[in-house]
Amino acid sequence: MIPLTPHLLPLTPYTRCILDGRIIVITSGKGGVGKTTATASIGAALAMEGKRVVVIDMDIGLRNLDVVMGLENRIIYNVVDAVKGKCKIKQAAIKDRRIENLYLIPASQSDNKNVLSPEEMVGFREIISKEFDYVLMDCPAGIERGFENSVAAADEAIVICAPEVSSVRDADRVIGLLYARSITPKLVVNRIVPEMVERGDMLNHSDVVDVLSIELIGLVPMDDQVVVCTNTGMPLVLQKKSLAGEAFRRIALRINGMADLPIEVPQSQSRFWKKLGTRLGLGK
Amino acid sequence: MFNDFLKKVMGSNKSDSREVAKKRLKFALIYDKLEVSDDILNALHRDIVEVISRYFEIDHDAFKLDIRRSDDFSALIVNTPILSAKHKDPRHSDL
Repeated sequence: MIPLTPHLLPLTPYTRCILDGRIIVITSGKGGVGKTTATASIGAALAMEGKRVVVIDMDIGLRNLDVVMGLENRIIYNVVDAVKGKCKIKQAAIKDRRIENLYLIPASQSDNKNVLSPEEMVGFREIISKEFDYVLMDCPAGIERGFENSVAAADEAIVICAPEVSSVRDADRVIGLLYARSITPKLVVNRIVPEMVERGDMLNHSDVVDVLSIELIGLVPMDDQVVVCTNTGMPLVLQKKSLAGEAFRRIALRINGMADLPIEVPQSQSRFWKKLGTRLGLGK
Repeated sequence: MFNDFLKKVMGSNKSDSREVAKKRLKFALIYDKLEVSDDILNALHRDIVEVISRYFEIDHDAFKLDIRRSDDFSALIVNTPILSAKHKDPRHSDL
């Protein structure tokens, strides 16, 4: 038998080594629905599970993942340097000092999105997936070059969608584009306001799933702690009382193999107490 | 009818913007998917002219390709004057 050395095989998605890390793009089409928060939080939660995780900011020219993670003062190299081979991945990846095994590769702030090409990104994925268990890519809003670059490097995708008409419509468009690239995305419905859902003033999660018809992987409530954590650059998932942080932690567990972990539907406080009362035999 | 009247009298604060949102969304997505870009339309134009030209002599300048939409359906309208028919079956032209 001829021994096969992995590096002599053509590096297509189908022949990649099973030991290689998973590359997941986090995308939404529309801006402002929570991609960056989701990337930072899911990445941090996966690292807390003991996995080696790198989160990459693909929003070249408008970087933000660094400030959300509180690592903006430690940037030396960026993703453009890493992809172009101007530095080693180890040099571009900033280590988070609060969470073991979590790294950030920031976006370049001075370049234009066209400095990278999807072809270069395909080459980059082979290098980066050897170094980490999970590579999460924070995709920029829109469906132009930045999206193309992010998707070219990914094997899997998570679509973040807020329960409002414009966000769902853009998510539908992005899902179509992902399918065209043979990626079957999973859905996170973010920024759910349970009080509005309960009084019929917000699309509920089954409406969104119904319209988009892709697999749901998590429901995240609107949470003031997101703004508070972004203010200070603290990881949301370290915030014990954050409902959104808890939801992102559960999403990370589902990604990391606990596929049957139940998806909890965010509930309003009043509904919660009413339910508790019923369980305790109070009221009807 | 009576329920609506009751709701008005009782001043119910239940609104249903969710239902409206879902309906509008479904229609928007259907319409979005019917939209065809100019590039695709031009490519289709080229291909159709090429196929028809194998069988007919046609007036290329008068060839018209259009998508017409009404509330219920979309239709692709192709209109071309035929100058003459070609009597040889193009599939056997090489034999």
